[in-house]
Parts: sequence; structure tokens; C-alpha cells
Amino acid sequence: MIPLKCSCIFIISLIILSVAVPPSSVMGTTNEECLECHSDDSLVRTISEGMKQDIYVNQQKYATSVHNENDVLCVDCHSDIEKLNYDNEVPHKTTLAMVVCEKCHEDEGEAYLNSVHKKASGKGITIPCYACHGYHYVSHLEAESVYERENGFCLKCHNPNKFHEWLPQMDTHFAFVECTVCHAPDVQRYVNLRFKDLKTNKFYTGAEFLKALDTDFQGFMNLVDKDKNDIISVAEFEDLVYLLLQKNLRGTFHGEIVVRIEPLVHHVNRGVANRACEMCHMPTSPFFENVRFSLSRGDGTSQNYVLERAVLETYYLKHFYALGGTRIRLLDQIGFAFLVGGAGLILAHLAMRILTIPTRKKKQKKSPFEIEKEAGES
Amino acid sequence: MKSTGQLIYIHPGPVRVWHWINAIGIILLILTGLQIRFAEIMHFFTLEEAIKVHNYIGFIVIGNFGLWIAYYFGTGKIKIYFPDIRSVIPNTMKQIKYYSLDMFKGEPNPHEMTPENKFNPLQQQAYLALMFILLPAQMVTGVLLWRVKEFEKYINMLGGIKIVDTIHVLLFFFFATFVFVHSYLATLGHTPSAHFKAMFTGYEEQH
Repeated sequence: MIPLKCSCIFIISLIILSVAVPPSSVMGTTNEECLECHSDDSLVRTISEGMKQDIYVNQQKYATSVHNENDVLCVDCHSDIEKLNYDNEVPHKTTLAMVVCEKCHEDEGEAYLNSVHKKASGKGITIPCYACHGYHYVSHLEAESVYERENGFCLKCHNPNKFHEWLPQMDTHFAFVECTVCHAPDVQRYVNLRFKDLKTNKFYTGAEFLKALDTDFQGFMNLVDKDKNDIISVAEFEDLVYLLLQKNLRGTFHGEIVVRIEPLVHHVNRGVANRACEMCHMPTSPFFENVRFSLSRGDGTSQNYVLERAVLETYYLKHFYALGGTRIRLLDQIGFAFLVGGAGLILAHLAMRILTIPTRKKKQKKSPFEIEKEAGES
Repeated sequence: MKSTGQLIYIHPGPVRVWHWINAIGIILLILTGLQIRFAEIMHFFTLEEAIKVHNYIGFIVIGNFGLWIAYYFGTGKIKIYFPDIRSVIPNTMKQIKYYSLDMFKGEPNPHEMTPENKFNPLQQQAYLALMFILLPAQMVTGVLLWRVKEFEKYINMLGGIKIVDTIHVLLFFFFATFVFVHSYLATLGHTPSAHFKAMFTGYEEQH
């Protein structure tokens, strides 16, 4: 017979536990348990009329996903799996509810709510988050290039060639400017510089770049930022270029215009894209205000270092130039000197012509004999 | 200077057509070029229009350069652009002296214009550089900047887009200056309008 006092303590403990610990943990449904079945690459389920759906999860790819990195459990997303019943052939119900990403990603959900992609559902098309982001292998996008981001997202559905013929240099814009730079006008934009080997056409990883400089992510700014203001000035960038030459690191700073990965990226709408060339191709353009040098970490994230905007107008960035937006003022000064010099010569010569008109008129009035005589005397 | 009154046919038809297409083309390229480069202070066109017009006119000027090549090389008259190596230095000095001193005294031009010897040594050197180096360089860099992505390989071979753009911009300022200087020098005929008329009629008065 258990004493009443002990029974009470046991029951109270159980109540406290059931409130304090999430249900999944109580059930003990770990990712490992799920992967016992779902790591089988032949695993499929029948949807309807004999159509099969792949329900295999690649463990290695999942291991590097942001959700795994943040210890998100399978059942945190698939929350309608309450417990696993191994007495059944399939230990949980076979038709699961749609995963609601907004449960965790509230700001993204809010931005997406009033976007053209969400509104498309009114036309019978459903574009859930995973249509773009995929299911189980969502990774960091920060270190991705314009090419990778476009191919991973927009170009899956859109054919940009169809609506951008008006651009004077369509392919150049697609190669150097991320879609959302124009199509999500409220998002913060960056000129993102990365070090690239022109011979192999490959970007240096952060580790490779830092190794060549005998430093690390923390030490990089100590090495470059001499005045310790957390901004790489033109003079400091110049020193970095010479340091790279000393270290025999032959490459170039490749520039692209990308957006900051933030919830507002999802707020893409019809008719609000920037179409005015002047927005970008002007020295006063806000598109070039934020310049950063980016070193990838290898997990999809990157360490970014702020650069002075004037760096864009130097010849140390020989491979990045946006018409008007990053123009070199020195050339304008040289051009002005050309024009002033030319005008000065013209005016001086014209003045001499006007001033010497009487001399020439006098000469024209002389007879040929006089002219010959003068020539003989001289 | 007294005129003999004799007219000589100095500018054949194809040369006059080429010259005026080139002149109008280059003036339009300068105007649209100014709009493209100084979009924050110039508002002749929108930037989009300016770029499109600039590209079209650029190709017309390139095609027109083909007409110049075809005519001068086809007829063998291209030799009028090449100075005589043996006499180029003394003749150049004479010509500089004439423009900077003698012409103000009413002395005759040391160079006598004929269809076979149209240009004085200074003109020969200037036009040789213009037609064989500067204009082709402007056309090549212009075409590369017209399609940056497609011509990325060639742009990189020249040192990068900023280098290509710098060449194009400096030449743009040079040509803008040239238009003014050339127009002024064209007033140095036996009358201020004589060379202008000749470029329309083809005939210059012999002196």
C-alpha cells in the first residue's frame, strides 16, 4: 500500500511534467525515430490514382539544414503526429496536415500574406512556402550569389525573358542584380563584393581567403581596418589590394547587387517593381549606399565587412561598374579640362584673327610689286 | 588671299555623305552620352530612351565607318591620309607656323589642296589617329558596353568593365572637344564659309 502522501507527490510531479515539457518530448518522437523509416530512399506513398510521392529524407542534406542546426524536430512542423504506434504498418496517420511555417516564421508569414504569390491562391493556385524553399533542406542564403538565388527561387517558375525586353542589357541585369532588388522595393539592398579567381571563375571561400592572409574572421578587420572605425575606407581597401598582391593572391573583387535576407523579401507585388533606370543609374542612387565585402563561412552564412561607398569609384574594382551609379568623378574633371582647353584655344585663335584683320587688309591693298619689294628687302 | 576662281572637285559624293552622317551621328551620340552620364542634371530624355537612341545611332556610325573604309580602300585613295615620311616633319613645322603666326599676317597657306593631296601634314596626322585608332577604339568599347554579359570575356581581356568604360568616356570627351575645334578650324578657309560649302558641293576654290 502506497502512502497517500507519496501518491500525491507522484501525481503532482506528473502534472508539472506534462505542463512544462512539450508533447513531442513526452512522446519521445525524436528525429532519429522518424529517420528509421524516412531515410530509406525507396520510401514512397500513394497519393491518389496510383500517383506516388517520395517521402524519403536525405540525412546528410537534412543535417546541414537550418532546421536541424536549430534543433527543430520533425514533429515540430508535422505537429499532427501525436505519437508513433508501432503496432500499425505505418506508425502514424498517412495523410498529414499542411505544415504551417508561419507558426514560427511570423514576420515572413505576414509579409507573404499581402504578396502576389499569396494572392495567386485566389486563382486556384497554391504557392506554399516550400514551393520555393523546399521541404527538408532549407539552407542559409546569405552567402549565395545572384545566380544561385535566382535559380533556386524565381527561375523555378518564372521566365524573365518574357517581361524584361525593355531592359537595355537584360542578361547583364540578370547576372548582377537579384530579382528582389527591383521586385521587393522596400528591402535593404547591398553591393556585395566577393573575391573571385578570374582564371578558374571560382569564388574564394572565406577560409581560403583568410588562410592566404594568415588571419581569421576576427583578425581580418584588425589587419585591414587601421583606424578601427569598423568601415574599410578607400585607403584601407588600397592597402588590402596591395597585401593580396604581396601574398600572391591573384583575383578580383566581383560585385553584385543583392537584398538583405529579411521577412520583407516575401513582399513581392505586381506593379510595384522599380522600372526607372534613374533609380539605380545615378551617382545619388541609394542602391550603392551599402557596400560590403563578404566572406562565406561554409554553412551558407557569411561574415560581412562594411566598405566606404567611394571604394566603388576606384580602379581597385575593375570588374564592377554600374553606369552612372558608380561613375568616376576624375574622368569628368579630365573631360571638363578637355573642353575648356579646346574652347580656350579656339577663343585665343579667333581673338588673334580679329585683332589682325587690319594688318591683313593693308597687305591685300598693296600691289604685287610692293609685296615683292618687301620680300626682297627682308 | 586672292582666289584664282578655279573650282576643284575635292570631296567626292560618298565622302560628303559619310562626313555628314558621321557629323550628325557623333553630335547625337554626344548629346545622348551626356544624358547617360549626367542623368542627375540633364533631362533631354529619360535614361531608358537615351540609352536606346545612343545604341541605334552608335550602330549607324559604325555602319557609316564601313562606308568610309569601302570607299577609301576600294578606290585606293586611302593614301591621302598617309604623310610623306621624308617631308612630314619640316612640312608640319611650316603648317604650325602658318596657323600660329603667318595666317595672321595674311601669308598664304603653305599647303596647296588638290584631290590627290587633300590634307596638310597636320590634318593627315590628326585624321590618321582619328580614323585608325580613336574612332575604332570608341566603336569597339561602345559595342562591348552595349552587351556587357555577352562580351564579358573580351571585357576581362581588356582589364575589366571599368577600364573599357574609362576608354569610352575619355574618348567621348575627346570627340566632344573635337567637334568644336574641328568646326572652328573649318572656318579657316579663304572665307569663313568656304570649307563648309565645299563639304556640301564637293568643290573648293583654287588659290
